[in-house]
Amino acid sequence: MDLHRVRRLAATLVASQLRSGRSSSDPRSFLGQPQLIAIVDFVLFLGTLGLADGAVRASGISSGQLAALAQAFLPLLPLVAVGVVLVAGVMFELTTTSKFAGSDAANWLPVTPTEYVSASASAIAYTYSPALAIALGALLPIALFGGLAGLYALTALLSLVALFEGAVLVEMVRSVTQRASSVTAGRRGQVNLILRAVVLIVVILALQLAFNPVFVLALAQRLSAVGIVTSFVPFFWSTEALTQWAAGSFAVGAGFAAGQLAFVGLLLYIASDLRRSYWVPSPTEVRLEPHRYASRSSFLALLGLSAAESAIVSKDLKGLVRRREMLPTLVVPIVLVILVLVEGKALGGFVSVVWVGWVAGFSALLISGTSIGQERKALQSLYSYPISVGNLVRAKTAYVLLPSLLFAVVLSLVVGFFFGLAAPEVLGVVMLVAAISVVLTFWGLVFASRFSDFQDRPRAQFLRPGGMLAATASGMVLLFLILIPGTFALLVPSVFSVPLGLLCAALAVGVGGLAAYWTVSGFRQLFRQLPF
Amino acid sequence: MVTLPSGTPLPRTTAGDSRGPSLQVDGVTKRFGSVEALSAVSFSVAAGEIVGLLGPNGAGKSTTMKTVLGLLKPDSGSIGLFGKDVGIDPIETKRQVGYVPESPALYEFLTGAEYLDFVADMYGLDAPTRLARIQQFLTGFELAGHENSLISGYSQGMKQKVALIAALAHRPKLLVLDEPLNGLDPRSARITKDLLRSLALHDGVAILFSTHVLEIAQAICDRVVILHQGRVLASGTVASLRDRAGLAGRDLEEVFLKLTGTGDLRDVVDALSR
Repeated sequence: MDLHRVRRLAATLVASQLRSGRSSSDPRSFLGQPQLIAIVDFVLFLGTLGLADGAVRASGISSGQLAALAQAFLPLLPLVAVGVVLVAGVMFELTTTSKFAGSDAANWLPVTPTEYVSASASAIAYTYSPALAIALGALLPIALFGGLAGLYALTALLSLVALFEGAVLVEMVRSVTQRASSVTAGRRGQVNLILRAVVLIVVILALQLAFNPVFVLALAQRLSAVGIVTSFVPFFWSTEALTQWAAGSFAVGAGFAAGQLAFVGLLLYIASDLRRSYWVPSPTEVRLEPHRYASRSSFLALLGLSAAESAIVSKDLKGLVRRREMLPTLVVPIVLVILVLVEGKALGGFVSVVWVGWVAGFSALLISGTSIGQERKALQSLYSYPISVGNLVRAKTAYVLLPSLLFAVVLSLVVGFFFGLAAPEVLGVVMLVAAISVVLTFWGLVFASRFSDFQDRPRAQFLRPGGMLAATASGMVLLFLILIPGTFALLVPSVFSVPLGLLCAALAVGVGGLAAYWTVSGFRQLFRQLPF
Repeated sequence: MVTLPSGTPLPRTTAGDSRGPSLQVDGVTKRFGSVEALSAVSFSVAAGEIVGLLGPNGAGKSTTMKTVLGLLKPDSGSIGLFGKDVGIDPIETKRQVGYVPESPALYEFLTGAEYLDFVADMYGLDAPTRLARIQQFLTGFELAGHENSLISGYSQGMKQKVALIAALAHRPKLLVLDEPLNGLDPRSARITKDLLRSLALHDGVAILFSTHVLEIAQAICDRVVILHQGRVLASGTVASLRDRAGLAGRDLEEVFLKLTGTGDLRDVVDALSR
């Protein structure tokens, strides 16, 4: 393995991520250099270190208590690091368009599968390293005041290894899902598309749930209760090494740490082999049932959409379920729903309604935020067709609202049934969650019309990072501003119920109206001139 | 030989049609930041005329075409389509134009049939017309039998054919074609060339198309416009350009290379082959 080649390839992959959505900017700018992430890591580390240091000093907790705290948390950090990289990697790295899989330059450059997997995994690990920087910064004062500097150093080392381990697992899943996409190819028509989507969703869902930090921590705690079991599971060897080290068994701890390194080496070998076998997908022809021309959806016509608007909505809905890169949009709400169902009883009716409102609103925001960027370069075709900006606004709004409202209503009914809410309460929840979906739909469109990313690239994104952050942060604030008083008004009867309900309705109408206005102005601006 | 979809043919027109040009570009300048992509570009395309837009890479051909279609707004100058400013009634104008981009970005998650049906909806074609025209084009371009497969599985040539059908099916009066023969096999390329000639000659369709294959431009264009560094270097018939370059009897490639100042090929080839 040529380490220089691996380093160059990894740096190129990181740079391509950093420069995404900024095609017109100067590639020599520091913001497009891989070193930026190291600076971010350093700043985040120092920032959280300062905050944690202040908190520890102000709390007056004894060094013995801090040592106990450090011994409880530090051994879990490598495990959580694997989970974070795997969960984020599966969501954002595995959903790339397959057309790049075969045309990726690495396929014909003299790069071995091991070199590619090492470089790609390093790039993924490096990209998600800020999460680890935050955790390490926060834990350093606790470890130092607790007198566990050695344990902290080993934790930092094993956590870095864990980042790479998670990234190698992502590479393995990437190859396996390529294979999963190909095995369905022989089947006819919609069956093929449905199978492919189901296989990919199941793989992503399973990994999302299995390595979700909430579940991982719960699992680790349960396994540690039976002690010996974790010794035989390589994924827990880092945790085991740190636990043994903290207990003074340095030789055993070092043994587990060495075992963990060897295990990562084995994973790298398997990942390289999987890439060698499955990476380049064989071109497959997916044939569907004969198309019926001009078969306009009567449902969409009933909604008052023109033939052109209906065609755009139908096209986008097909894309939502057929496109690999759109799968996170479907998977995120499913994961969140499963979480609410698993934790639901413990949360209670009020929190569950808030959770459901959040899931529905977030889903609407996710779909609307990606609704324009997913056009990619085909956007120029939309410019060349004889359709107006109004046609596009109506079509994109309908495309987002149809699945979002359906999801909101179904989810509200499930929660209403789950907690035995009375019919008027269920109706109220349905209306509240639906209203939130509508508001967040327009809010997402406001950002989609201004911050969409139309670049074709192996690792797709539909909204530029700044827009994505701004849309999510502001969208969540708006969501809770409407949701919390609305839920109080519905489920906690008091003299404030009516004023709170009115406040909630006024906010929804006001913000929704404003967002709709900004959506139209954003579309006008966007469709004034091709943005690329 | 492909058969054109039936319909009432437009009156036959010529380059000197008294109704004026279908496309009139006057002094169009377009800047991207500090880069002047187009500089006072002027030319016209009459009904029934095929005009070739030639130029080296980065000369401004695609930018010109996007500006003509209203996809990009010129910083100065004017563009008239069918006697009206392109900005006055853009929707009605676009209805009369067919466009094939340089790298057609199709919705690859749709089948060929679904995509063409989608485009027909955009142009408001009625059901019988779209069915007849799409079927004729699919057959003519040898795509029949593949139309129910996802476009993601198509070859580059097949995608190009779909893009061409999408531009032609609504029978536009002006065709703007950016490298329309890219990736086509010889048979399909020949069909496309003959079809363009037929549309111009019999239906009076005005055609603006760019190509790097100068033999094609020489074979089918009534006139050529040579762009270089965003400026119109020369325009006219191939014969008039030959005369202007002092290369009577030579082919368009030599004229092009002389006019664009890229004729010192011998030295370049020698240096590269060392």
